[in-house]
Amino acid sequence: MPHKILTVDDSKTVRIIVRKAFKGYDCEISEATNGVEGLAAAKAHPNLILLDVTMPVMDGIEMLTKLKADPQTKGIPVIMLTAEGGRDNVLKIAKIGVRDYIVKPFKDEALLQKVGRVLELKQLAPPVSKVRTVLDAATILVVDDKPAIVHQIQDGLKHMPWKIHGAQTPAAALEFCAQRPPDLVIVSLGLPEEAAFQLFRAIRASQTGKSTPVFGLTVKIETLAQQKAKEAGFAIVITKPISMPELEQKMTKAMNLDTSPRYYIREGEVLVIRLPANCTPEDISEVRMHLKAQLTEAVDAGRSKVLIDIQALQALDIRGMRLLIDAMQFCREMGMRFATVATPQLIEESKGFEEARTWVVSPTIEDARASLDQAVPAQASEVGAK
Amino acid sequence: MPAIDEISEALVRDNIARAVRDVFKTMLNHDLTFDGADQPAAGAEPPALPRTRTFSVPQVVGNVGFIGDANGLVYLHLDETFAVLCTGRILGLNEEETRTIDEDAVNDAIGELTNMVVGGFKNGLCEAGYPCKLTIPSVLRGRDVHIESTSAAKRHAYRFNCDSHQLMADILVKVGD
Repeated sequence: MPHKILTVDDSKTVRIIVRKAFKGYDCEISEATNGVEGLAAAKAHPNLILLDVTMPVMDGIEMLTKLKADPQTKGIPVIMLTAEGGRDNVLKIAKIGVRDYIVKPFKDEALLQKVGRVLELKQLAPPVSKVRTVLDAATILVVDDKPAIVHQIQDGLKHMPWKIHGAQTPAAALEFCAQRPPDLVIVSLGLPEEAAFQLFRAIRASQTGKSTPVFGLTVKIETLAQQKAKEAGFAIVITKPISMPELEQKMTKAMNLDTSPRYYIREGEVLVIRLPANCTPEDISEVRMHLKAQLTEAVDAGRSKVLIDIQALQALDIRGMRLLIDAMQFCREMGMRFATVATPQLIEESKGFEEARTWVVSPTIEDARASLDQAVPAQASEVGAK
Repeated sequence: MPAIDEISEALVRDNIARAVRDVFKTMLNHDLTFDGADQPAAGAEPPALPRTRTFSVPQVVGNVGFIGDANGLVYLHLDETFAVLCTGRILGLNEEETRTIDEDAVNDAIGELTNMVVGGFKNGLCEAGYPCKLTIPSVLRGRDVHIESTSAAKRHAYRFNCDSHQLMADILVKVGD
């Protein structure tokens, strides 16, 4: 059963802040804008009331007095959340009967802490949200006192839809995190006075940074720092000089991004499998990893044709061959028509493989599409192999 | 009850400086710098703060009063752009969401920020021996703001700076009824 919390405040801003503060917890928030509405809502017996003092119609002190005078509602715990401080005021209100008193301004953490003393707050499991992909925007924070490193990472990953921000000091980084929690943080382990480790702990201690992947960044020979970072809980340690493809791959994995949209494109009734420019062995592994799920999804969506485009491959090696064999095999098993397109050089190279002897590979996209569109028997519906 | 019947300028200044910085740091994570007291109008005799302030950009002005052994009003002037930014920040909105905030949301947020600032300010007065309570906030908008005090009330104005934005606290305060 979720805890029912009633927030009574004439400011919509405060009610929104309260609602957001409890978003990740097993709580149901109801709202009232003054004491009269608050008393009415209290009849539903919330587990806790957060009460402002200065409100129109009926203020918080009158509401509290009436609430405590009613045997039906007097047992409901009340925490005051108000700008009305001052020792005498607090004592006067406390005498009427409140569990705690929070003087505005307040931080979410203070609110959660004080409510947590009255109710046993349980964090909700993270909501099942839409899987994020490599085509989605992400916020990355690079903390390094050397702006050149920040620029290098920005430049090296500029093809990604990620916004990469730099912070030169831990203080600036924490301010950034408070304003806009990043999806991933990269911290130079060489920051003075072990500041990288203090920053890591501060990120982990914050409400929004508990599960943010944090990478360490150092030079290869700093093995002690690398070891210490791993022990501290850094997700990955990247060594300089930075290999951008490796960094991109590790970031993608750490942020748990779906990479399939990079290789699988839906074009009407055709599912296109396209290898990217500068295709790496990791790319081929990724394509193979998604193969079965993507073809199944295509069939479920009513697609019946697959175009396998390997033109970007520099050379056809055993990895590329395995991918093609797997793709064709799955297409056959699922009753999908397929066509393959490759450069003349790759077509020539494919002839060196026994498995490819019977393949028909088109030299252009247009040829491949045309062959897909030709009428074919229902069973042996493939264009990629004789 | 304090022995003196006039609240010192130092008490007003220290309390408002602390309250403004505390609220903007806690609620918005903004570090405001205190630029000191506003200067009286040039040539005014006796030296006095201008009754009418004309701003080059539209202002959102939150105001909250306090009543008790100390009485008065505090006006918090923010330029409209800064007011929208503060609203987005206090509500935890991203840049795109902030651009679409409506006027009511800005009014409510600036009213509440002013309420917190004046709460902090007047709580300081309470601790100094002038018990008083807050009134309900209201918000004004415009370029020309005319503030006229009753003869018994003393007027103080202080400026704060946050990046390129200015914030001004205009305070009217008197002891007793």
